[in-house]
Amino acid sequence: MSFRFPKSAVLRHEAILLLVLVLEVVFFRVAGRNFGTVDNVANIVRHSVEIGLLALVMMPVILTGGIDLSVGSLLGLCAVLFGKLWRDAGLPWEVAALTTLGLGALAGGFNAALITGLRLPPLIVTLGTYSLFRGLAEAITHGTDAFTRFPETFLFLGTGRIAGVPTQAWIFVVLAIAVWLLVHRTTFGRSWRAIGFSPEGARYAGLSVGRRLTFAYVLAGLMAGLAAITYTARFGTAKADAGTGYELAAITAVVLGGTSIFGGVGSVHGTLLGVAAIAVLSNGLSRLPATMSNAAELSGLLTGVLLIVALAGGALPGWIAARRGRRNATPSVPATSGV
Amino acid sequence: MSPLLKLTSVTKSFGAVRALKGVSFDLRAGEVHALLGENGAGKSTLIKVIAGAHQPDGGTLEIGGQRVTQLTPQAAHRLGIACIYQQPALFPDLKVSENIGLRLEPISLLRRINWAARRERAAQLLQRLGADISPDAEAGSLSMPEQQLVEIACALGAGARIVIMDEPTASLTQTEQHRLFAVVRDLRADGVGVIYISHRLDEIFALADRVTVLRDGESVGTRDVVARPSSVVRRVPNERSARPHPGPLPQGEEVSQPATGLTKHATFADPLTTILPLPAGEGRGQGERVLEPAGLSDSSPPPITESELIRLMVGREVSSIYPAAESEPGEVVLSLRELGCTASGVKKITLDLRAGEIVGLAGLVGAGRTELARVLFGLTPADSGEIQLNGHPVSIRSPQEAVTQGIAYVPEDRRRHGVILEMPIAHNLTMAIHPRLFPGTWLRFGAERTHALEAMHDLAVKAAGPDALGGSLSGGNQQKVALARWLATRPRVLILDEPTQGVDVGAKSEIHKIIRRLAQEGMAVLLISSDLPEVLGMSDRIAVMRGGEIVAMMPGGSDAHAVMAAALGQDRGES
Amino acid sequence: MKRHFRELSVTGALLLLLLSLAIFAPNFFEPQPLLSRLTAAAPKLVVACGIALVILCRQIDISVGSLFAVCSVSAGLLAAAKLPLPVAVIASVTLGAVGGALNGALVAGVGLPSIVVTLATMVTWREGLRLTQQGVFVNLPDGVQWFGLPMAAGQGIVCGLALAVLLALAYALRFLSVGRFVYAVGSDAEAARLAGIRPRLVTFGVFVLLGALTGLAAVMNLVQSPQVDPGTGRMLELEAIAAVVVGGVAVSGGRGNVWGVLAGFLLLACITPALTYLDVKPYWDKAIQGAVILLAIVADGVRRRKLNR
Repeated sequence: MSFRFPKSAVLRHEAILLLVLVLEVVFFRVAGRNFGTVDNVANIVRHSVEIGLLALVMMPVILTGGIDLSVGSLLGLCAVLFGKLWRDAGLPWEVAALTTLGLGALAGGFNAALITGLRLPPLIVTLGTYSLFRGLAEAITHGTDAFTRFPETFLFLGTGRIAGVPTQAWIFVVLAIAVWLLVHRTTFGRSWRAIGFSPEGARYAGLSVGRRLTFAYVLAGLMAGLAAITYTARFGTAKADAGTGYELAAITAVVLGGTSIFGGVGSVHGTLLGVAAIAVLSNGLSRLPATMSNAAELSGLLTGVLLIVALAGGALPGWIAARRGRRNATPSVPATSGV
Repeated sequence: MSPLLKLTSVTKSFGAVRALKGVSFDLRAGEVHALLGENGAGKSTLIKVIAGAHQPDGGTLEIGGQRVTQLTPQAAHRLGIACIYQQPALFPDLKVSENIGLRLEPISLLRRINWAARRERAAQLLQRLGADISPDAEAGSLSMPEQQLVEIACALGAGARIVIMDEPTASLTQTEQHRLFAVVRDLRADGVGVIYISHRLDEIFALADRVTVLRDGESVGTRDVVARPSSVVRRVPNERSARPHPGPLPQGEEVSQPATGLTKHATFADPLTTILPLPAGEGRGQGERVLEPAGLSDSSPPPITESELIRLMVGREVSSIYPAAESEPGEVVLSLRELGCTASGVKKITLDLRAGEIVGLAGLVGAGRTELARVLFGLTPADSGEIQLNGHPVSIRSPQEAVTQGIAYVPEDRRRHGVILEMPIAHNLTMAIHPRLFPGTWLRFGAERTHALEAMHDLAVKAAGPDALGGSLSGGNQQKVALARWLATRPRVLILDEPTQGVDVGAKSEIHKIIRRLAQEGMAVLLISSDLPEVLGMSDRIAVMRGGEIVAMMPGGSDAHAVMAAALGQDRGES
Repeated sequence: MKRHFRELSVTGALLLLLLSLAIFAPNFFEPQPLLSRLTAAAPKLVVACGIALVILCRQIDISVGSLFAVCSVSAGLLAAAKLPLPVAVIASVTLGAVGGALNGALVAGVGLPSIVVTLATMVTWREGLRLTQQGVFVNLPDGVQWFGLPMAAGQGIVCGLALAVLLALAYALRFLSVGRFVYAVGSDAEAARLAGIRPRLVTFGVFVLLGALTGLAAVMNLVQSPQVDPGTGRMLELEAIAAVVVGGVAVSGGRGNVWGVLAGFLLLACITPALTYLDVKPYWDKAIQGAVILLAIVADGVRRRKLNR
C-alpha cells in the first residue's frame, strides 16, 4: 500500500536523500579503509543510536510546527539522574533505568505544560529548559562528578551484541518501527500533521490539540531518557555534559530528512535516511586516509552545509515562483514565534 | 475634467482563482462612491489593487488622468490614496502617535524623530475627528473602532485625495457612526473622493452619491444613488448642472429604513462632474447621471432602488428560492438558560432549539452570534448559566466535549478553521470522527476512502478525488467539505456560521437544500447569517442578537424591517 | 509607567542583588576586580544588544557564538601576522557583517525560518573553524593585548566601546526613523509594508548589524588575553538571548529596549559572582540562570494571557 501522503515534493526529497546515501556508501567502500566490514557497520550503528532516537521523536515535534531544543540537555540530566539513582540511592540498575525514563517523560511534560498551558512559543520555552536541564545536571554532579563502574549486565546494553547485532540497534529498530507506525498509521500522526498545518483548524475540527501536543513533547522527554541510558551504557560513564549538541544533530537529521520546519509535512523514513546519511558521512570520512585525522570536523562542516542546501533547495522553487510572479507578494519573512 | 481614479477592465488572479474578471470603476472628486457586493465578489481584491498592494494582471489604472503601472503601496501613498482596511493595519506594540507618524512621515532611514511634534500632530488629527483617544496609548490596546479612527486620522493627515473605507461601520456604535458619517461628508466637501465599501444598504442610501456593484469578480453596474428619505436641494451656480431628481422612494422591502434618520448633504465640490457622462464601458448601459427631467438627458435610468441593488448583487430576484419546511418541529433538543461568557461578551442567552427546526441568528457583525456559537462548541466555555441537551444539563468545556454531546459547528472562516487547506479532502472529511472510524487509533485507509467518497457523493462535492487537497477546491465545495465533516458526526445540534458566505449562487442554493433536508431528518439547526434574505427565508424562527444578547424572537418569514430594526436597536451604546 | 514595568522590575531585582552583595560581600565592589569583571562581560553585552535588535525584528540568531569564534581567530591570525591592529579590527567587523549578511539573505531573501538558518550556519562556522584551526590557540604578539596600552587604559577602551554601542543603539532605536522601522517590522511586518517600509530590507540589515557587532565584540574580547582560543564563544548565543529575554524584549517582536537588555544582562552576569560571594556552590550557577530565564518567559506568558482577557 502506498503512503497516504503522496506529497510529491517529499517523495522526491527522500529519493534524492536515498541517492545521496547510496553514493556515500559506494564512495566510501571504494575509497575508504575497512568501511564495509561488519565491525565498522556495527560501529556506525552504535554511534548513531542516541542521535537517531532523538531524531525519531524530534520528527513528530517538528511535524506539529514546534521544536524541542532541550533534548540534548535532558539526555545529560537523565544520565546523571540515572547514575545518582543507581549509585547513591542504591537502586538496581533496571529500576533506576525505568525511573529515569519516567523522569524524562516528566521533563517533557514540563515543556509541554509551558507550551500548551501558557501558549508560549516552543522555541523559547525549550531554549529555557535547555539551560535549566543542563544546569541541573551540573548542580547534581557538582560540575565534576562522574558515575562509573556500572554492572556488566547494564553495559551489555551499550557494548554487547545480540545475534551479531549491537544491542542498542535492536532497541532502535523496534522504536523506529513504533514511531513510524505512530506517525504514518495512527490518528496521532494524523492529528500532529493537522496541528502542524493549522493549529486553529485542528482545534475547530474537534481534535484535542493540547493533549496531542503534550504527547509529542512527553515522547521526546521519554526518548531523551532512553537515549541517556544507551549513551551511559555505551561510554560506561554518566557525566553532566552527556549529549551536548545532540539536539542540533537531531534537528539537522530531521530537516535533512525532508520534514518541513513549518510543520505538517514530513516522514519518519525520511528522518531515518537523514540520520543514516549523516552517520555514514562522519564514519566514512574517518575511513578515508585523506580525511582520517579530522573526520569529525569535516563531517560536521558538511552536515551544516548540507542543511543549508537542503533548506534553500526546498524553498528555492517557491522563491523563484514568487519572484517571477509578483514582486509585491506578501512578504514571507517568517517569524520565530511561530516555530 | 478627468476622474480622480479610473479602472478599466482590471483582472487579477491568484493561482487558479480569478478574483477579478474585468472590473471597471471610476471615482470623481468630491463624491462618495459606494462599492457593493457579496463576500467573495472581489471587493477586497479591488481595493488592494487601487492601494497598490496587488498588481493587476490586466486592464488599466489611471490616477488623476495619468496611466499608472507597477503601483506599489508607497507610490499609492504618494499619489494621495489612503486605504482604511476592515482589519486596521496598525502596529499593536507601538503608540498611536507613532502609528500615525510612521504613516505620515517620509520614509528615510536616518531622519531624527521629533516625538513632541509627532504627538502634537497626532493629537490634532484625532481632535479633528472628535476621537477621544490618547496619542500615547498603545494601538493594540484600542478597540476596533478606535483603531479605525486612528486609520482615518492617518488618511486625514496624509491629505489623501482618494480615501478607501472597507466596511468602516462594521463594529461601530451608533454615535461613532454619526461621527464617521460627518467625517466622510467633510472629506467630500473638501473634494476628496471616497470609495465606501459596505453591505449595509441603509448606509449607502444615506451617504453615497453613486454605487457600483461587483458580482463574482465583475462590475455589473454603476448607478446613481439618491438620498432617502428626502433629498436636499443643492444650490449650484451653474443652472445647467441641475440637481439630482429626488426619484421615487425605494420600496425597500428587504432592508429597513436607516435607523439613523440621516440625510445627505449633497455638497459637491465640482458641480460639473455631475453632468459628465460615465465613461464608456462602465457598467451596463447606465449612461448618464440622473438629471432633472427638463435637463440634458432624457433616457437615463432613474436612481437605483434597494431591490434593484439587491438584484444586481445577487444576480436574480431573491424571492422564492428557499426550500420550505414540510414538517413540524419535534422535541426540544438544546436548551440554553441565561447562558453567559464574560470573555467573549455573550450575556444571558435563553433559547430553545427543537429537533427538525432551523433557528436563524440574525444581527450585525459583532453582535455576538459567532461568539455564542463558540461558547456552545466549547471554544470559549461559558462561565454562567446552563446548557441542556435533551433535558439534561451538560458541561461543555472543550470542542471534544461538544462533539461527544452531539454538537457540531461549521465555522465562519472556512479557509482558516473549516478546512485544512494543505490536507487531502478525505483527511478533512474524517477529522471529526477519528474515534468512530479508526477504533484503537489505527488508521484504516480503505474505510476512510469509502467514507470520503460517500460523503462527497452525498453533498455533490466537485473535486478531482478524495486525495485532492482542500485548498484546491472552490469556496462552495470547501464549504460542503466543512459541512460534510460535521454531518459525519451525526450531530443532534448543528451550528452553521455564515454557511453561504463567498459561495457562488449555484452552490448556495444547494447548501440551502442540504440544510433544509438535515432539519427534515430531525437535526436541530442554528443558522448564523449576515445575509438577511437567507435568514428570513430559511429559518423557522429567528433570534435577533445585539450586544451579546438576544433582543428579539420572531417567527420565520418575518418582516426584514422589523428584524433589522431589532438588530440595530435605538442606540447600541458602548458595551 | 506600565509600559516599562518589565525594565523597572528587572532593574529592581538587580539592585536588590547588588544591595545584598553590598551587605554580605562588600568586597564585591572593590574597584579593580569589578572593572575586570565588567571588561570581561563587555563583549557579551555588545552581542546581546545585537541579538536584541534581531529579536525586536521577530527573528532569532543562534549562530553568533560560532561567528564570534571565527572573527576572533581571523583577527588573531591577522594580528599574529604582524598586520596593524586596526586592519585586524576592520577585518573582524567586516567578516562578522558578511556572516550576518549570509543569515540575513537566507532569512529575508529566501524566506527561511531564522532558527534553522542560524542553526545551520552555527554548525558550519564552528566545524569549519575546528577543521582549519585544529584546536590550536593563536598566540598574539605584544602590543595587541590592551591595544598595547596599560591594562587600565585598555579596560577603559573596551568598556567605553561597549558603552558607546549601547548608547548609539539606544539613540538609534529611540530617535532615528530606521530604529523605529525595526519595531514596526517586528510588530507587524505586513502593516510595515503597507506603511511603505521594506520589511525584508530591515530584517536583512538587522542581521548584518548583529554580525558586525559580533565582529567588534570578538576584537573586544581578543585584546583581553595573550591568546585566542578557537573554542571561544560557545554558549554565547544563549547567554545573549537570555539577557535579552530577561531584559523584557518580547520574543513576539516589536517590544523592548536596550536599557532593559542592559539590566537583564547585568542581572544574569551578577548571579555567578554573587553566588560565589554569597557562598552558594558555583555549580548551581547554570541551573539558576536557566530558572531565571524560564521565569522571565513565564512572566511574559502570564502577562499576555492577562492582556488577552
